[in-house]
Amino acid sequence: MRSSSYPALPAVPAGSLSRTARATLVLAVTAALATAVPAAATQAEAAGKTAATAAAPTADATSGTAAKPYMGWSSWSMQSSKYPGLNPDGDYSYLTQANVLKQTDALATKLKKYGYDYVNIDAGWWRDNTWKPEYDQYGRQAPDPLRFPDGMKPVADHIHAKGLKAGIYLPVGLEKEAYGDGKVPVWNAPGCTTADIVYPDLRTTNGWDSSYKLDFDNPCAQKYVDSQAQMFADWGYDFLKLDGVGPGSFKSGDNYDNVADVAAWHQAIAATGRPIHLEISWSLDIGHAADWKQYSNGWRIETDVECYCNTLVTWENSVNDRWNDAPAWSHKAGPGGWNDLDSLDVGNGAMDGLTKAERQSYMTLWAINKSPLYTGDDLTRLDGYGVSLLTNQEVIAVDQSDSPVARPVTPMGDQQVWGTRNADGSYTVALFNLGDSPASVSADWASFGFAGNASVRDLWNKQNLGTYKNRITEALPAHGSRLFTVRPGGTTLATTSYEAESAANTLSGNASVAGCDACSGGNKVGNLYLGGKLQFNHITVQKDGIYTVKVAYVSGDPRSVTVFSNTGNGTSLPFPSTGDWGTVDTVSVQLALKAGSNTITFDSGSGYAPDIDRISVPQTN
Amino acid sequence: MDIQDTESRDNRPGRRGFLTLAAAVGAATALGGLPAFTASAAPLRPTESPMLTAADAAKNLLWWQAPGSSGSMIEQGLPVGNGRLGALTGNDPASELLTITDATLWTGGPNDTLQSDGQFPYGRDDFGSLTLLAELTVDIPDHDLGSVNNYRRSLDLAQGLVSASYDISGVTYRRQIFASRPDDVIVLHFTQQGGGAYTGTVSLAGTHGESTTVSAGRCASFGGSFANGLKYGAAVTASSSTGKVTVDGGSISFSGCRDLTVVVSGGTDYAPDPATGFRSPSVDPQHLAVTKVRNAAGHSASTLLHTHVADFRPLFAQLELDLGTSSAAQRELDTWERVQARYRDDVPDPELEAAYLQFGRYLMISGSRGSLPMGLQGPWLDGNDPDWMGDYHTDINIQMNYWMADRAGLSECFDAFADYCLAQLPSWTDATRRLFNSPTNRYRNSSGRIAGWTVAISTNPYGGGGWWWHPAGNAWLCHNLFEHYEYTQDRAYLEKVYPLIKGAVQFWEARLITTTVTDASGAPREVLIADSDWSPEQGPLDAKGITYAQELVWSLFGNYRTATRVLGRDADHSRTVDGLRERLYLPVVSPTTGWLEEWMSPDNLGETTHRHLSPLFGLFPGDRIRPDASTPKDILDGATALLTARGMDSFGWANAWRSLCWARLKDAEKAYQLVVHNLKPSVDGSNGSAMNLFDIYQVEQGRGIFQIDANFGTPSAVIEMLVYSRPGHVELLPALPTAWAASGSVSGVGVRGGFVAALSWKNGKVTRATLTSVGGRTTTVVAGGASQQISLQPGESVTLRSFG
Repeated sequence: MRSSSYPALPAVPAGSLSRTARATLVLAVTAALATAVPAAATQAEAAGKTAATAAAPTADATSGTAAKPYMGWSSWSMQSSKYPGLNPDGDYSYLTQANVLKQTDALATKLKKYGYDYVNIDAGWWRDNTWKPEYDQYGRQAPDPLRFPDGMKPVADHIHAKGLKAGIYLPVGLEKEAYGDGKVPVWNAPGCTTADIVYPDLRTTNGWDSSYKLDFDNPCAQKYVDSQAQMFADWGYDFLKLDGVGPGSFKSGDNYDNVADVAAWHQAIAATGRPIHLEISWSLDIGHAADWKQYSNGWRIETDVECYCNTLVTWENSVNDRWNDAPAWSHKAGPGGWNDLDSLDVGNGAMDGLTKAERQSYMTLWAINKSPLYTGDDLTRLDGYGVSLLTNQEVIAVDQSDSPVARPVTPMGDQQVWGTRNADGSYTVALFNLGDSPASVSADWASFGFAGNASVRDLWNKQNLGTYKNRITEALPAHGSRLFTVRPGGTTLATTSYEAESAANTLSGNASVAGCDACSGGNKVGNLYLGGKLQFNHITVQKDGIYTVKVAYVSGDPRSVTVFSNTGNGTSLPFPSTGDWGTVDTVSVQLALKAGSNTITFDSGSGYAPDIDRISVPQTN
Repeated sequence: MDIQDTESRDNRPGRRGFLTLAAAVGAATALGGLPAFTASAAPLRPTESPMLTAADAAKNLLWWQAPGSSGSMIEQGLPVGNGRLGALTGNDPASELLTITDATLWTGGPNDTLQSDGQFPYGRDDFGSLTLLAELTVDIPDHDLGSVNNYRRSLDLAQGLVSASYDISGVTYRRQIFASRPDDVIVLHFTQQGGGAYTGTVSLAGTHGESTTVSAGRCASFGGSFANGLKYGAAVTASSSTGKVTVDGGSISFSGCRDLTVVVSGGTDYAPDPATGFRSPSVDPQHLAVTKVRNAAGHSASTLLHTHVADFRPLFAQLELDLGTSSAAQRELDTWERVQARYRDDVPDPELEAAYLQFGRYLMISGSRGSLPMGLQGPWLDGNDPDWMGDYHTDINIQMNYWMADRAGLSECFDAFADYCLAQLPSWTDATRRLFNSPTNRYRNSSGRIAGWTVAISTNPYGGGGWWWHPAGNAWLCHNLFEHYEYTQDRAYLEKVYPLIKGAVQFWEARLITTTVTDASGAPREVLIADSDWSPEQGPLDAKGITYAQELVWSLFGNYRTATRVLGRDADHSRTVDGLRERLYLPVVSPTTGWLEEWMSPDNLGETTHRHLSPLFGLFPGDRIRPDASTPKDILDGATALLTARGMDSFGWANAWRSLCWARLKDAEKAYQLVVHNLKPSVDGSNGSAMNLFDIYQVEQGRGIFQIDANFGTPSAVIEMLVYSRPGHVELLPALPTAWAASGSVSGVGVRGGFVAALSWKNGKVTRATLTSVGGRTTTVVAGGASQQISLQPGESVTLRSFG
């Protein structure tokens, strides 16, 4: 859920708190776990895993959580859509017990064997169809009786009975409607009331300012989070999406710094003894990536993929933004915590609002980024093509593999090549055409550091394409993609490297040498802005030709630079972010070089360019 | 230099002598203008394969590794045409799309009711517009681009052939598309190797709301008519040696076909004859289209292909060009990558640059034979509302289109232009006499006299003008018409167009007015100047004696003198006109700007870097201003200064014109830079070359328009850099840039005075040159500082070696 959805919601009248209605039910479900938790280790298994069986919670119950990006289904895409018939009782009304159970059954039948095992209930389970919330007597969210007539635990039970895992949702902070004049007691915290857990000035927090910010200086605040966590553990939930978290969720500043909330949730979940996957949302601040990694199992890197329109998503709103968003986060993900690109709505073309090509590209990007793979589609209405995408085991294996998250190996134009090196020496290579017309896209083996022949496996079309020398070029439809495993035939590409900071180079404008721990030689050239230029001199090659030149650079945000050799005009090339100003990444550019000495220039033009560490020029072309 | 040998006329590779493969061509290009769409005689079928070997075809092959987008056909569609029908082809495996245009499918009419300002209406209903005839789609749903490998499509310039190939699951699928002039149809031929088959649908849809219906003989067709009464129609049929082909309502279904041939044709009842209201009453276009596709479908696809290539190839082969060898790395790139790399790296790509010229020739052969001439886009549209109606702009654009024909060995393609002017002449004359002196027309003759004819800035094919009057437009058109005679020395042709030239002269006799100027010496002098006019398309709207008109009239009167002498006609009148010519005011250099004056004013009354080079007509295409002793130095300097001020950074045709002028000034590097400028890849509608090499003019941020003139003007500039000629004088390599200097050759270049030149060079110096007379007798050949007078009989050749 995102901020912009809120203006569409009915206003909640002040003081209309409803925290009594569900009290009986809530008390009833605090009984012991009816269904045992699945062992964390089993979550690591890809396609073909069996249903989780009973296992006792370990001392550190979260230690194995999210060893691989999770897979499953989420309710939000359909809740958010105006697609005919989905939300007959008002906005977001899709979320009901009946629908969740229906999707659970479809997931179990169709997708579970491929690794999809989470059924995640998103926002609104404690709100009626006018979005009026309900709470128990301890200020904890309580299920809406119309949406979930049997309460939340039986739903989780049903999900577990199908061999699946159950997920639930909360906004961060104390929801304003739960405050109850500060007099609402906190469960299992004698002496604590809601007045004790927030700041006296009732400062608000989260992406919608819908909650009071919790004040963890008062131990009662942790107790409140503990009470929510225990409730979910008692109900048997295995996953929590904590939404509206900042810095992020389009908010910054002290009031919206929810690092302490996430840490509190981490602690609270551990205290329950139940391994509950903690996913945080949305548009999280990359500057706090270490915090997110420490306390959560995944973070939404950007805004919602949903369009809040007549389909679930559209290409432009906002699926295609993810290509630009993802690179900054590539080094942040790993076992225990993953970059969440949001729902994967590729299962039904008409409902998704995407072309076949767009659906394939969507899943390709998610897979190579090792994003969680959870679809928001109506699993009872998957079309044949959607099933073929969601169940392609070779592509799922890319997502679930141990390889590093892929990065672009070319600049970020309409045509892009991304890739990563796999443990067995092969490469996962994705071609993308983000343009509105068909286009050819070439992956040059030199971008990956090898040359000569390589065998190519086409993962989407499930066929071996044979051997390709030096590169593969394919025609891609508008917004299309290809996904390959490329196995080099043997030769490593010999290159000559030239350091940006070399005294042989010519710096102009404000360009200057700066220290850089991660850079080769310990230095880079920065301050390439507003006309600043770096010209490498004496780039020497034996033969005229067009060379794939690797550029090692540092750029805490996406920046463009015009690159040219000799007297060329060059092209303005958008370099993807390296995530911060201390990390070096590389992209490759094509440049003509003549036999003998050449110059290669990085010109910031009228903008701000990345810092340059060095370039590597193949000794042969 | 030494004259090595003179070949006998028996050996002559004459101007049209290459046409042995296509005996049927001669009749089709006969002078006089046949109806555009008419029943044609059975084509002559070649008895031997006229196909080039793959290696030979590769020399003139453009190729791409992705299909075009149905939403960007103008930039990405590959053009085919048979001189009348033009189509852009998308080449998507799953959905082949052709947007088909007939050059005569014009709305509008005579448009001879002026607006209150004495100028012409310029709308799609009154003036009219070229429009699209049909969209043909061949859907093959199983061939989704996302699942094909090794996709490639190509445009074979030498054989007039679009091809695409790709692999799916071990099967290689190929298609060829060509527009045949002999069969007057467009053919799509789908084949495969490896056991594949085609299943899908052929749909032919009109673009003006027509319904397509079943016709006899497994055809689908439609017909319709415009508000102006123009009838049109189109038809398609499909066949296969295997599988099933059925006509189902308005479309044709096919399944399990190992091969598939689709044949489409269409046209209108337009006729280039004002006497019949520009209609051919006997033609039923829909019926005729059905007949044509059925006739063609009676032959195998390979017979149709061979017939087409036998017709197309000889024309293309009339000019060969080698500007040097590109690198292996450049050759690995497809055409679009190469265009991008050329700009990115600023490394010359001589083969690409030569291919750009040959692409222009390909377009001319495909777009200008036996029907109307090519306007702003030729017969290649992607919708019914081309910018500026896709019309004939007479203040540079149509002139530039046809500068290339004779220069680049395509004299035959000029006929469409000449025939058009001839067919329009009665209407232009009538409109001029009735309307030009309308009291509100700011360009009217202040004397009140009127004679001859002129045109508006825009013209249509119904005798109508659009936008504003263009008094000097007649002389501009006549300049092209007369140059064609200079190239061909074809007396019958001159006879034919003589009424156009004489009528233009008569117009100016009535229009010129007298004024007194002060010479440099301070002496007053009475001169003749043009009445109120607009120097295209800038500055004052009513300036007298604008350089543009003065230069054009000076040229017109000179050409009239030559024409009367060649034809032995109007001797007395010619002397009178000579007298007027001697009194014509000619521009001086402004003491203020140092530029050749555009208006009779020392001040710059327009935009310094304006796109038009109207006041430089005397430099190009005229010959009055030359970088030799014949031109006063101040005039040459003033022209050079004006050209310099106009700048190097314009777009398409404006760059081409600049390049032509710099070539005339023998500034090879500037001329080359402007050619290269037009090869800059167009991105999001920016100025430059689109993926399909169509020239794009950016009208606003994010929106570019295809204007074909640069695709012809730029090749003309390349030719002018290699060969300059005027009657009696040929200069070889007048402006050879360093990028092409290492070695190269060209053959088939038209030479004014009635010759065709072939030459080779090495290290910037001519090594061998052959001149063949196509009617010329004597000329002086200049190369490398040496000059030599040659004399030939028509049909004879002379080869020269050892240049200074």
